[in-house]
Amino acid sequence: MNTTMSGPPTIEVRGLRKVFRQATSGQQVIAIDRLDLTIQPKEVIAIVGQTGCGKSTFFDMMIGLEPPTEGYIHIGDKSPYGDFDFFRGKMATVFQQDRLLPWRTALDNAKLPLELMGKPEEEQRERALTWLNKLGLSNFVNAYPHELSGGMRQRVAIARAFAVQPEILLADEAFGHLDEVTAAELRDTFLKLARESGATAILITHQLEEAIAVGDRIAVFGKSAKLLADIHVEQWPKERYGELREAIQATLQSQSADPRLNGG
Amino acid sequence: MALEEHRESVPVLSFPRQTLVSLLIFAIVWEAMSYFAPSLGIPPFAIPSWLKIAKSIATITPIDVVVTLARVVGALIVSFVLGLALAMAMYRSETLDKYVHPMVRILMAVPVVSWILFAVLWFPGVEFRIGFVLVVVCGPVFLIDTLDAMRNVPRELRHMMRSFRPTTLQFFLKLMLPAIVPTIFTSWKVNISLAIRVVTIAELVGAVTGIGHQLSVAQELFSVSDVFAWTIVLVALLFVLEALVARIEHRLLRWRT
Repeated sequence: MNTTMSGPPTIEVRGLRKVFRQATSGQQVIAIDRLDLTIQPKEVIAIVGQTGCGKSTFFDMMIGLEPPTEGYIHIGDKSPYGDFDFFRGKMATVFQQDRLLPWRTALDNAKLPLELMGKPEEEQRERALTWLNKLGLSNFVNAYPHELSGGMRQRVAIARAFAVQPEILLADEAFGHLDEVTAAELRDTFLKLARESGATAILITHQLEEAIAVGDRIAVFGKSAKLLADIHVEQWPKERYGELREAIQATLQSQSADPRLNGG
Repeated sequence: MALEEHRESVPVLSFPRQTLVSLLIFAIVWEAMSYFAPSLGIPPFAIPSWLKIAKSIATITPIDVVVTLARVVGALIVSFVLGLALAMAMYRSETLDKYVHPMVRILMAVPVVSWILFAVLWFPGVEFRIGFVLVVVCGPVFLIDTLDAMRNVPRELRHMMRSFRPTTLQFFLKLMLPAIVPTIFTSWKVNISLAIRVVTIAELVGAVTGIGHQLSVAQELFSVSDVFAWTIVLVALLFVLEALVARIEHRLLRWRT
């Protein structure tokens, strides 16, 4: 197992279970029920599933904000929850909304994680500017979030994540709230930069088109994050993407793997 | 450049014409009442003319103004630091919050006069008495306001911040504190007004300096013009402090414009 994390480590999820107790009724809700999943270093994986299937709970557990009820997530030989501080500067996230701090300029928002990592001021500025430039925001570094469009704000959020130079990138419905053209453009940029950076990228989405467009691999989650299908996209020629889409849709509707997914 | 111009174009303070007009009307009505008071059977000293009030203002001792100002500012700073520190601790610890919150509510329900009487009975030093009363009245306001503001920081921002794994200190310095700055300013404005009123009452009892003490002397001398003059000073002091806070607020909250 890799503890120094010179490159992205393997992510192993074994028997992962998350049970919540509802505050009002006291009833138990099984958000994730014994999930097994392995993500290889530098892999770009899309996790697709319907609303309420446990994708976001999985996301929270991946970034270490929620502990497992049972089972584990190991990144190398470390747990993102148990070894929380170990992952400072090794993991970065892009959320559905930009989640920029409104009192900070674009530059200061992009610098935020570097400040938390204790990087020297000059390095913070240089790295943040580099990524803002790569995302086409060189003329807006001193703008406050309310002075930017939704797409531009999400670009700042992406720059903030990449500025960390993380080994693992996580995106939770990061492009879902944008218009189609902006979302496609931003998704392409995100993927290009993710592949260039050599990070493992995990993208959570409910949009099948997006999942097919981004992933080397697609994990299809059913209810309680049951892994319904594990698809290696390169096994599907582009001209069969329509069929792949239909097969994933059928899988989600029936909550069992469509036979076409076995063929590849 | 365009952004900078836009940000700077917002006025810091405005002094509307309507305010001037209403003040002028009040001054004229007062002067008329002063002029006609004797013919209505009202003693002349009860409604002094503006000339007499101006003479009283000219005799105001700046040291008393400075002393009261120092008491107010000093006590507000102590109240703010204590209130914020306890609010941060209560935000972190639900158990502490459960124990402290009810006590704070009780403290806030106690009338100011009761606190003054307690202070006189408990403490021998005048300065400590006044400081105690101001802190015990203003501290809880800072505490409740900042605690509520911390709890209202959007979950999404707290979530985002935690995903980058800050230390506890970084979490407060980089997220919570900047996020509650607007509430802190509102709380300061409310507390300045409260402190000015409370300090006056506290100084009436036992103090030998300060505006409250001078008001007490004026009352003993039946000098309405002196009472009026010191009251004008108090109101002016309040406006100056509020304007100062508004100016700092505008500077720090430029991002909102």
